[in-house]
Amino acid sequence: MRAIIRWTLWQRRWSIFWWSFGVAVLVGFTLAFYPTIRDQADQLNKSLGSLSGSTEALFGGTDFFSPVGYLNSQLIYFTVPLLLAILAIGLGTSLIGREESSGTLEALLVRPVSRGRLLTAKALAGMIIVFIVTGISSLVTIVLSKLVQIDVPIGNIALACFACFMLVLTFGATAFLLTATGRGRVAALGISVVYGIGGYLVSSLSGSVHWLKEPSLIFPYHYYRTADILHGTFDWSSIVFFALFTLGCGLVAWLSFRRRDLE
Amino acid sequence: MAHDALIDTWKLGKRYRGSKTPALHDLSLHVAPGEVYGLLGPNGAGKSTTIRTLLNFIQPTEGSARIIGLDVVKDSVAIKRSVGYLASDMAMYPKMTGGQFLRYMGQLQGTDSTSYRTELIHRLKADPDQKLGSLSRGNRQKFAIIQAFMHKPDVLILDEPSSGLDPIMQEVFYQLLGEAKARGAATFMSSHIMSEVQKVCDRVGIIRDGELVAERTIADLVQEAAHTLEITFAGAPPLTELKRVRGVQVAAHDEHHATVRLQGPLPPLLGVLARHDVTQLEAHQLDLEELFMHFYTSGAEAGKSSLVSDERRAVNEKHHNGEEQQ
Repeated sequence: MRAIIRWTLWQRRWSIFWWSFGVAVLVGFTLAFYPTIRDQADQLNKSLGSLSGSTEALFGGTDFFSPVGYLNSQLIYFTVPLLLAILAIGLGTSLIGREESSGTLEALLVRPVSRGRLLTAKALAGMIIVFIVTGISSLVTIVLSKLVQIDVPIGNIALACFACFMLVLTFGATAFLLTATGRGRVAALGISVVYGIGGYLVSSLSGSVHWLKEPSLIFPYHYYRTADILHGTFDWSSIVFFALFTLGCGLVAWLSFRRRDLE
Repeated sequence: MAHDALIDTWKLGKRYRGSKTPALHDLSLHVAPGEVYGLLGPNGAGKSTTIRTLLNFIQPTEGSARIIGLDVVKDSVAIKRSVGYLASDMAMYPKMTGGQFLRYMGQLQGTDSTSYRTELIHRLKADPDQKLGSLSRGNRQKFAIIQAFMHKPDVLILDEPSSGLDPIMQEVFYQLLGEAKARGAATFMSSHIMSEVQKVCDRVGIIRDGELVAERTIADLVQEAAHTLEITFAGAPPLTELKRVRGVQVAAHDEHHATVRLQGPLPPLLGVLARHDVTQLEAHQLDLEELFMHFYTSGAEAGKSSLVSDERRAVNEKHHNGEEQQ
């Protein structure tokens, strides 16, 4: 299993580097503007005061220019999870899917490696990749937040980034599950994107659109409350939900993959 | 006999979802230690389905198969410690070098095969530092061969193994196959190349529309295959006498010359020729290809009833009964 993880990471080393670099640059740019924004916070808040509740909800709250508000609305609630979701979904569809469509899965499964171990190794490799990229972007966020004097405790930022990591794992796990069942990479990609991005829209709007309240419960985004985390009121149950969702996807992926015909 | 087999299938079948006809049906065969078994058939006959089922890439929908005495579905992981697999155009990682690919496969195999791997690299003249994506098909196939042989498996499963190799490398491949055979490894291979089949196989099965329609040893096939003889006579060819010889068919003739196809022993024909003034006699290569074409194109049911030996059927039944008792 270690060999599969090691070689998968080796094969994707440049992808890891460029993803980390890209996300770090984006975080850096966003935080570099904070001092300018902070100085005009009162004026900007007044101009945005006319925004509807649902529009505010799409940005993760009503407070855009306080330290917590800026960090949450500009980075942790939407932008960083969106980028990491693209990475995670891409990995979810390709870790097994690309090997299967290119035929290299047969080269692996002709070795004494069970399908369960192969699936676990690939899933772990994917999680490590997402963890590395999230970790680097978190580190940049923490360091630059201190440099531009965003007054939010480091522990809260780290926890919010961890919640972000767990959230995007659910999207990656959805894509991984769909690919493992043999649905095909394109279908898995489409469904996962709809589930992830659609979940963001449904969950964000559920506060003002009442009939979306119940449906929003099935989307992981509903449990992603980073503003609360940054304010220091963290509820671990959301992390548990993300973990159980990811594990559940892994389990169903294994049940489906262990006996199915390879394409 | 089947109990000693390293590869043993019993009424193995596969029907793909949504398909009305099975891709593989009622396949019962065995391959003994040290035996090379060739599975022949046209495209779509079921060769790859058989191989993919044996390797547990796809699940059988009927019957069962065993390799080294273990069930191919339940004990797939244990089986793969003893199996080497080679496909015709094996998918490999284009960004890896050949050496990296072999190291990866070696780590997954879990056996220390470094020295034999190095020996194979030298023998096949493979360049382990080149990226696989930049290699020609033939050079990539060398790495496919090495990964299949490097752990000295007890069972080799080969799907069109020598395609893409130049004649020199083909010869090295046949040597490797011979060494595996001498070690007692059982080889199950599919091939389209009749000369290769004749050269390396001990026994062949002919598969058509997913069913085994014939099973023969190569020696039997050679007996059955027609020899073509070009005979030039000083006078007119003795056509009536020639036609009377058992197994002889006069394919063409003119004033002094006859083209004769002989299926069977040579001495009776030589006896006839000895009584006439033969000025030239030329024998052509055995026409196995034509024999296979006969199997491919003849009626499946009629062919199957006569071509799969009674002895083999008895073995299958015995094996089946044993399974049921278990």
